[in-house]
Amino acid sequence: MYALVDCNSFYCSCERLFRPDLESRPVVVLSNNDGCVIARSDEAKQIGVPMGAPFFQYRDLIESNQVAVFSSNYNLYGDLSMRVMDTLRGMVGESNVEVYSVDEAFLDMGQNFDGKIAGSLKERVEQWTGIKVSVGAAPTKVLCKVANRLAKKHKEATGCSLVLRDEADIRQALEETEVGDLWGIGYRYAEKLRQLGITTGWKLACMPGEWVRKNLGGVTGLRIHRELHGEACIPFKDPLENKKMISTTRMFGKPVTLKNEIREAVATYTARAAEKLRRQQGAAGSVEVFLVAESGGKFSYHPVKSALSARLPKATMLTHELSRYTLALADALFESGPRYLKAGVILSDLVPDERVQGNLFTAKSREGDRYLMEALDNINFSQRDEKVKFGASGLTKAWKMRQDCKSKRHTTRWKELAIVR
Amino acid sequence: MDFDKVYAPVYKGTKDFDQHQVRMTNATGFGASADDYAERGIDLNEELVRNKPATFFLRVTGNAMTGAGINDGDIVIVDRSLKVQSGKIVIAVLDGEMLIRRYEKTFNRMRLLPETEKLAPIDIDPGCETFGIWGVVTYVIHGV
Repeated sequence: MYALVDCNSFYCSCERLFRPDLESRPVVVLSNNDGCVIARSDEAKQIGVPMGAPFFQYRDLIESNQVAVFSSNYNLYGDLSMRVMDTLRGMVGESNVEVYSVDEAFLDMGQNFDGKIAGSLKERVEQWTGIKVSVGAAPTKVLCKVANRLAKKHKEATGCSLVLRDEADIRQALEETEVGDLWGIGYRYAEKLRQLGITTGWKLACMPGEWVRKNLGGVTGLRIHRELHGEACIPFKDPLENKKMISTTRMFGKPVTLKNEIREAVATYTARAAEKLRRQQGAAGSVEVFLVAESGGKFSYHPVKSALSARLPKATMLTHELSRYTLALADALFESGPRYLKAGVILSDLVPDERVQGNLFTAKSREGDRYLMEALDNINFSQRDEKVKFGASGLTKAWKMRQDCKSKRHTTRWKELAIVR
Repeated sequence: MDFDKVYAPVYKGTKDFDQHQVRMTNATGFGASADDYAERGIDLNEELVRNKPATFFLRVTGNAMTGAGINDGDIVIVDRSLKVQSGKIVIAVLDGEMLIRRYEKTFNRMRLLPETEKLAPIDIDPGCETFGIWGVVTYVIHGV
C-alpha cells in the first residue's frame, strides 16, 4: 500500500500557523512579484477567487471580503515543508518517504495499512507542525491521488483521510473521479477521452489494455491503466536524485530597459543557480539565458521570449566562469527598446563535479577557485542574504521583485520570531 | 497509540551526527591517549531541541509570566509534540491571539493563569471554539 500525504492549502496554512486570527478568514498567497494568486484557503475559494487569478483584477473582490493577502514567503514554507517531511520520515522510516513536491509526499506503507494508521499520520503531522494534511492510501500511486482528491473534496465525511483497499471501494472512487482529474492524464487526452464517452476513471479502467496502449500514448498510458487496476507500475523514486537541470528565473519588480540592470539580474541569477549546482556537487556543461519582454498594445499581455545558449568548453561549477558566459549571452540578447519583464538562467548538461574531464587547452589548476567557491557558499549559508557576492550582481538591484505583503520568516530568522503576549 | 507499535520511530532528534564529526586531538606521544577520550562537544540543540520538526522559537512581549522567570523580550522554546498537562506553561490561542500562560485544568474548569499581579486569570468556557493550545513551553532563553 502507498499513501499520498498532501498538505491542505499549504502556503495558506503556513501563513495561518503564526496568525491564529486568520483561522476563519479567507487567505490568499501571491506569486513572486505579487502577480497572481497561487494559493487559496477554502474560504477564499468559496468567495470565488480563482487559482492563478491576476491580483489586480480581483483586488476589489479580495478587499471587499477582507481576504488576508500575502506575498510568497518561501523561507517559511520551505522550513515548514521540511518539518512535515521529517515528521513523516520519523513515523514510517526515511527510505519509505518520497518527497513529491513541497507539500506532498508518497509513503510506502507495507501491507498492514488501514484507516486508523492513516488517521494517526494525519493527527501527528498536524499536532507537531501545525499543518493540516489529507491522506489518500491505495495500492498504487495513481489511485493514491484519486483517494487524496476525494478525501479533500469530502472533508467532513472522510475526515481528510481515505483508504482504498477493496475493489468495490476503488470502483466507487473511480466512478466519482472525472477522467481529466486522473494523475497523468493531460488536458488533451482528457478531451479526447470525453469525446469518446469515457468520462470517469472507472470507464477508462474498463477499457481493454490494448486499446489504451494504442490511444493513450503507448506505455505511459498503459501504466496509468494498470495502476487504475491496482497494479503498481510507477516506481518509488530515490528521494536524493540529482536534478538534470537547474534554473533560476524571476520576474522584475518593474519593467527593465537598461542593459546594465539586465546584466545585474543575469549575474545574480547565475550566482544563485551556481550555488544550487554546487550544493548537489555538480558542474554544468551548458548555459542558457532568456529574456522576456513586453510587446504589443499596452492592454494586451503577449510576452516575447528570446533565448540563447552556449556549450562550455569544459563543465564548471564556478560562478565567475559561468557568469562570463551568461553575461556574454545577455549582451547578445539585449536590445534597447523593449521593456523586459523577466530574465532567467538555465544550467544544463550537468555532470558530477569529480568527473569533470580535463581539457588539453585549459591546463590551469582550479583548486584555488574551488576553495573560493566553498568559502563563498559557507559565508552566504551562515550569514544569509548574499553577504558576499560578485560585483556584477549589482548593489542597488532596482529591478528586484516586488513583495509588498510578505510575512516574517518566523522559523528561520532570530530577528523575525513570532510574538506571544 | 497503536501507531508506535507498528512503526519504530527512527527520528533521532538533533542528535544526528556520525563518527567523523568527532575531531582528532592531533597529539603525539603521551598526549595521544587523549584520542581515546575524544567525543563530540556540547551542542545546545541536543538538550534544548528534543524534537526538531515540532520545536519552534517564539519571542515574549510583556510581563505576563515574570513570576515564572520569563521576562519581556525573552525567547521561549516551544514543543508542539508534547501533551498538555495542567500546570504546564503553554502557548495558548484565544480569540486569534497567541498568549503565554500557565494552563490549569481541574475536573470542571479550565483557566489560563498569568504569573504577575497585574493580570487576571482567564476562565475558558469549555465550549469556546476560539481556544486552543498551540504548544508547550519547554525552555526560556534569557540574556543576563
